[in-house]
Amino acid sequence: MGILKWSRSKSPWLIHFNTGGCNGCDIELLAALTPKYDVERFGIVLEGSPRHADVMAVTGPVTRQVRKRLRRIYDQMPEPKFVVAIGSCALTGAPFGDCYNVLGGTEKQIPVDVYVPGCPPRPEAIIDGIAKLLGKMESSDDDDGE
Amino acid sequence: MLDTVVIPLVMFLIFPGVAFLLAMAFFLEWIDRKTVARIQRRYGPLHTGPSGILQPFADFLKLLQKEDIIPTGVDKKVFILAPILISALPLTALFLIPFAGPSALVWFEGDLFLIMFIFTLIVLVVFLAGYCTTSRFSVIGSSRAALQMLGYEIPMGLAMIGPALLAGSLSISGIGQWQMDNGIWTVLLQPLGFAILVTCMLAELEFVPFDIPEAETEIVGGWRTEYGGRKLALLKLGHDLELVLASALITALYLGGAQQIWIIPSIFVFLAKMLLVTLLFSLLRAVFARMSIAQMLSGMWKYMVPLAIIQILLIQLGIGG
Repeated sequence: MGILKWSRSKSPWLIHFNTGGCNGCDIELLAALTPKYDVERFGIVLEGSPRHADVMAVTGPVTRQVRKRLRRIYDQMPEPKFVVAIGSCALTGAPFGDCYNVLGGTEKQIPVDVYVPGCPPRPEAIIDGIAKLLGKMESSDDDDGE
Repeated sequence: MLDTVVIPLVMFLIFPGVAFLLAMAFFLEWIDRKTVARIQRRYGPLHTGPSGILQPFADFLKLLQKEDIIPTGVDKKVFILAPILISALPLTALFLIPFAGPSALVWFEGDLFLIMFIFTLIVLVVFLAGYCTTSRFSVIGSSRAALQMLGYEIPMGLAMIGPALLAGSLSISGIGQWQMDNGIWTVLLQPLGFAILVTCMLAELEFVPFDIPEAETEIVGGWRTEYGGRKLALLKLGHDLELVLASALITALYLGGAQQIWIIPSIFVFLAKMLLVTLLFSLLRAVFARMSIAQMLSGMWKYMVPLAIIQILLIQLGIGG
């Protein structure tokens, strides 16, 4: 593993984006960032601006209204960038999948690297998902991370 | 050849020059993050190198290899120049600090004023850095940075003048030398000035309770919002160097500078004192909450400026002087 890939897998900075969920997954994600779980151990920091972030944590089903915003925030992140879909809604749309204003899961709009199922997933599951993403970063062969 | 070229080159580039200062910058950021984490009953960085000591370096390296985005609508020249200036200015100022032994790499009578000027210049570049991006978050953040400077600049200057009056020298090396000759630390004579300087340095470093310009819960990333990739890496490096500068300056002015205690070399004594100042910063950062800009400004003008003037008066009256 080269030093560039090492640095990338040791310092994933998160940006959190709710695409129209019920706030359940958001609370679990915030719980994962609290002192009890302390993800700063792995170098994970929550950033406010998409320009600073490497990993986008998406929660909730993608609604018609938020689709453009999701795409724009994703485009604002510098390469190499990764997406983690958190919760059943972000995976498929779950109970809201058939609503007139819901377009389904995150993967239909932007490429997703890791899926974390659950309604809502526990903080341990979210940390496990991000750890899987780090493992994926380390083992990927091409050097631009995509 | 050896005396005129090689030794100065090694001193400027390696010790106590650029390489040493960059290593110190990363080390102090790690100390700061780790201390804040321990106070909040967390571990902080843990898996990047032993006890996470390589975390700031990994962050820096990662940011360097990221895509370099120049958003449409920014003033390109300032946008490219500002991160370079923000990391170069504290580095320049650090050459004036006597790390090892009585005198710094560069010193002249009046370099204390140059340091004050550089502190002001950093804030000016911060203002331009935010303003040139035309993002609304950046503009609010940078105008807050400039406004905040109006509050802390005058007490900070007065608190730096205190030791200079005492030592009868306007050079940082001279003040350090005076403390070594007389065997006393300025902080024992002027505790008020020390407290004021620490408070103002917290504001200069944009640490809690004065992190108003980058208040993440209000204005996303503050004046840094639009910077990403290697520009952000330079901004973060500049901030770390500023932390080194602030702790080194307080050490040199108030804590006796690079004196030799028993057989311990002066550089280690200096680093130990710097570490203490950094721990003090981290402690204050962890236990306070953010003030609003109005509270900060009125507090500075109502309490800090009169206190700084009282300190100068006391020195003139011969108390602690």
